[in-house]
Amino acid sequence: MYAIEVNGLSKNFKVKIKEKGFKGSLKSIIKPEYKTIRAVDNISFAVEEGEILAFIGPNGAGKSTTIKMLTGILYPQSGGVSVLGIDPTKKRKQLAYNIGTVFGQKEQLWTHLTPYDNFKFFGAIYDLSAKEVEFRIDELRTTFELDEFINIPVRNLSLGQRIRCEIVASLIHKPKVLFLDEPTIGLDPVVKENVRKLIKQMNKELNTTIFLTSHDIGDIEKLCKRIIIVNQGQIVLDDSMENIKYHYLNKKIVEIKLKEEVEWPVEEGITIIKSKGCNAKLEVDTTVKKISDAIKWIDADNIEDITISNVPLEKIITEIYKNVEMRT
Amino acid sequence: MLMAAKNQFRVCFLSIKYNIMREMINKVTFLTNIFFMMLNNGTFIVQWLLLFQIKEDIGGYTLDQVMLLWGLAACTYGLSHVLFQKAFELPELIINGKLDSFLVQPKNVLLSVITSATNSSAIGDVLYGFVIMCVFSFSFGRLGLFILFSITGAIIITAFSVLVGSLSFWIVRGEMFGTNLTNILISFATYPDGIFKGAVKFILYILIPVGMTNYLPVHIMTNFNPLFMLTVLGYMVMLVIVALYVFYKGLKRYSSSSLMVARM
Repeated sequence: MYAIEVNGLSKNFKVKIKEKGFKGSLKSIIKPEYKTIRAVDNISFAVEEGEILAFIGPNGAGKSTTIKMLTGILYPQSGGVSVLGIDPTKKRKQLAYNIGTVFGQKEQLWTHLTPYDNFKFFGAIYDLSAKEVEFRIDELRTTFELDEFINIPVRNLSLGQRIRCEIVASLIHKPKVLFLDEPTIGLDPVVKENVRKLIKQMNKELNTTIFLTSHDIGDIEKLCKRIIIVNQGQIVLDDSMENIKYHYLNKKIVEIKLKEEVEWPVEEGITIIKSKGCNAKLEVDTTVKKISDAIKWIDADNIEDITISNVPLEKIITEIYKNVEMRT
Repeated sequence: MLMAAKNQFRVCFLSIKYNIMREMINKVTFLTNIFFMMLNNGTFIVQWLLLFQIKEDIGGYTLDQVMLLWGLAACTYGLSHVLFQKAFELPELIINGKLDSFLVQPKNVLLSVITSATNSSAIGDVLYGFVIMCVFSFSFGRLGLFILFSITGAIIITAFSVLVGSLSFWIVRGEMFGTNLTNILISFATYPDGIFKGAVKFILYILIPVGMTNYLPVHIMTNFNPLFMLTVLGYMVMLVIVALYVFYKGLKRYSSSSLMVARM
């Protein structure tokens, strides 16, 4: 069964256009002009129950607008949305009982209250009895290691602690689907890693479906098995992480330290990215030249040290964004 | 249905409690806000005492009736701002896309929004209202009616504010229009309705409902009339329905935003 189903979803925003300066302001009063921006343009996809999906794209691609339509915040222009079999436009409240949301840039917690009081408040929002809330807080405080700061007002917590509390607040009612909109924004690498670990654990233990948007490639690489890339409101790629790596990782990065400095001749399939003294960084297109042939070409006897790695996922995604922009 | 209403009431109660707790964090500011608001309102007593020394009757009102009007105006305003402060900030929330966190909760959006903040100085208005009422026109029956009309008045002001505030779903700078109308309502609430005639009176009773929040209730408290009472209650119900309809109609046009927001 699909946890999320989206068919031909579109959303437009009408934006007023104003010419520059005071004259432009006057003109916009007398004869206002509008431009329609197609934030989401006829997208369709489905997410399996228990899946962790990365929904990514450059700024203004339509990621947040899509999440907002899936959670019932925004009404679509056209198309259909079904989350756990519920239409968010018709049964927003019923859906809200079954989903959790974390918006990295928007805090839902009361800053003057302690996390404990906040969780009690969120428990009341989801109609949990005092006993149920206590039990759930006890469960989550261990998993998310909240003991140290559960009784300190939220305004005095560090960003990492706050985000942990935001996630806990969104999990208090055991949601079946969790929407995470840039959950690790602004966090340091250690806290990021912790948050990722917790998300993964939750997915594994409770089979929670996770819909993630993030600009952090680490989040995507470490959490998701499938990626949907959107740009200019349209889906430009919907594939498994494995396939993406397989199709796009036909280039290898070879970093070498040579015994003696050499002049690099031009060779098909090999691009010299950087060369300084005895150190060099090459990109090998494996569809043109096998990696073993590339090493032979470098002269294996002259190599003191070698590292062969894949092109970073970040670069792959940037390439995909760029290709789409060039095509349009 | 009953259970859902009970749970909704529980969340509203918690929200209002937490709002007041937040205001109480700074004890000195909290108490001085209340005290100075009462003092500020008190200065108008002097103004009316002087006026009534010149003239015995202003717009058909005696000094006690004007004080009752003042007390009720302060109490309705205070109660609406203590309980439903965000109803008066609705345009800002709509324009800047700050309704997201309320829309993902399984509760009534409007109630969750309007109960999400309080105005501590408005507690001073409520207290002032009751003190004035008790000093100038006390009787147990009148006190009961005063409490009832403070509640109906607060609901009418809030519903009116929601109604005009919801125009921001359609009009970009709708907040100026809405705020002006709400301010007119509050300003007119402290003057006897006898001084207004014709079209102005019609506007004050129907379009800007100060007649229903203050004038008619004061008439009922001085000279009980069940028909007037039903009129006030009926108007309140009607205005609430219209405000809800307009808000939820507008909500479909809500466009959110990507601004960074913290619930302070």
